[in-house]
Amino acid sequence: MALSQLVTMTDTAFVERERALEGDFVARLMLGDRAAVAEAYDAHHSAVRAFAKRLVGETAAAEDLVHEVFVVLPRAIKSYRGDASLRTFLISVAVNHARHHVRAAARRRYAMERYEREPGRGTSDPELLTGQRELAQVLERCLDALPLDQRVAFVLCEVEERSSTEVARIVGAPEGTVRTRLFHAKKKLRSLLEEEGVR
Amino acid sequence: MTDDLLARATRALREETRGDDTGARFTRSRIMASVHEDRVKRRTRWAFLIPVAATFVAASAFGAASGTAHRAFEVVVRALGIHASTPPAPRTSAPRPVSASAVAPAARSPSPSVVDTAAPVVNEAPAPPPPPLAEPAPPAPLAAVAPAAPKTQPATSSGHEPAPVASAPDPTFELYKAAHQAHFVDRDWARALGGWDAYLKAAPRGALAPEARYNRALCLLRLHRNDEARVALRPFADGHYGTYRREEAQKLIEALPAGIDGP
Repeated sequence: MALSQLVTMTDTAFVERERALEGDFVARLMLGDRAAVAEAYDAHHSAVRAFAKRLVGETAAAEDLVHEVFVVLPRAIKSYRGDASLRTFLISVAVNHARHHVRAAARRRYAMERYEREPGRGTSDPELLTGQRELAQVLERCLDALPLDQRVAFVLCEVEERSSTEVARIVGAPEGTVRTRLFHAKKKLRSLLEEEGVR
Repeated sequence: MTDDLLARATRALREETRGDDTGARFTRSRIMASVHEDRVKRRTRWAFLIPVAATFVAASAFGAASGTAHRAFEVVVRALGIHASTPPAPRTSAPRPVSASAVAPAARSPSPSVVDTAAPVVNEAPAPPPPPLAEPAPPAPLAAVAPAAPKTQPATSSGHEPAPVASAPDPTFELYKAAHQAHFVDRDWARALGGWDAYLKAAPRGALAPEARYNRALCLLRLHRNDEARVALRPFADGHYGTYRREEAQKLIEALPAGIDGP
């Protein structure tokens, strides 16, 4: 038997075993197996948390979103077809559950801003907006001004540097639509950043 | 310039939110607790629903088997006063004609039949002259109606016209309609007798066979063929059709020896 054939067979066996294991794992998730949920969390929480933070812009709201994603996972997994990785699927679950958390975080941010603008509080000096942290905060504020679809497209494509194909799969929209959303999001963000006086 | 600014801001956001897993352990505990709670809730729901569903199914089966459900249905229907619009299902107490042979004890004359309608046969029979048979038959109601509604109803003397129920075309229905026309509209007893015989030949176990047999017996009475009429009425009097037309048949048979002479 040729070596290449052997390699192909080994590869095929490996892929099949992986699929069987994944199928078993998905079945356990569907049954609401706590151990399976814990495994999924341990394997993917970092990616989901990072996305949630970037999208929501607030640690507490992001933690709430992460919590929600993994709690609804046993029910949501029923729609998992296996055509994308579980991590991608988890991100799409997060996108579907983000609306409420994004709004709540934006409201809290707005309230904090107003509080900071009150007399006696420090004002945001454009001269100070040079550090990385400040720059990130400004961008989060600007993101609040975007519609959720555009916000999701920007975070996934630009911040997380995912391909438009992958983003299209996550948000369940055509690639062209994702690119259009990204274009409008960037256009709006540029003008908002200028208005903020960031240099 | 602005592009550069946006790129810088994007990079800043990416860096700021990378690898920040503080709170990860706490969130994990929350998730595990929530998943457990969900599972317990689901189990509790099933533990409650399954016995309820099983009880309902068992009770329904018992009710259907024992007839309790039907009686309860009738009570409800009566209480709501909607008998007219929703005729209850045929009772199990009214046996259907057992078989063609059982129904027609005598070879020559099967048995009576039909919906002689509201005509209280009881009143007519005893009277010597058969004409008193108040042929009640409202001819119209059958128009364009199939001879469904097997009427296993009790032998109340009020006999209704066979319930006109729209259904798929029945080839024997035309025969029934023709006999009905001859009997109740034209009052041509000989033709009606032939008509009932034709119907019974075509559908000895048809939905309207009992009614056809009873009407046939009435025709025999009209035609002074008393012996045959007696034979035709006997299954009804003996309760082969439950209580359907039993009293009337018994009274007619009792009256026969006295002689039913003229039409």
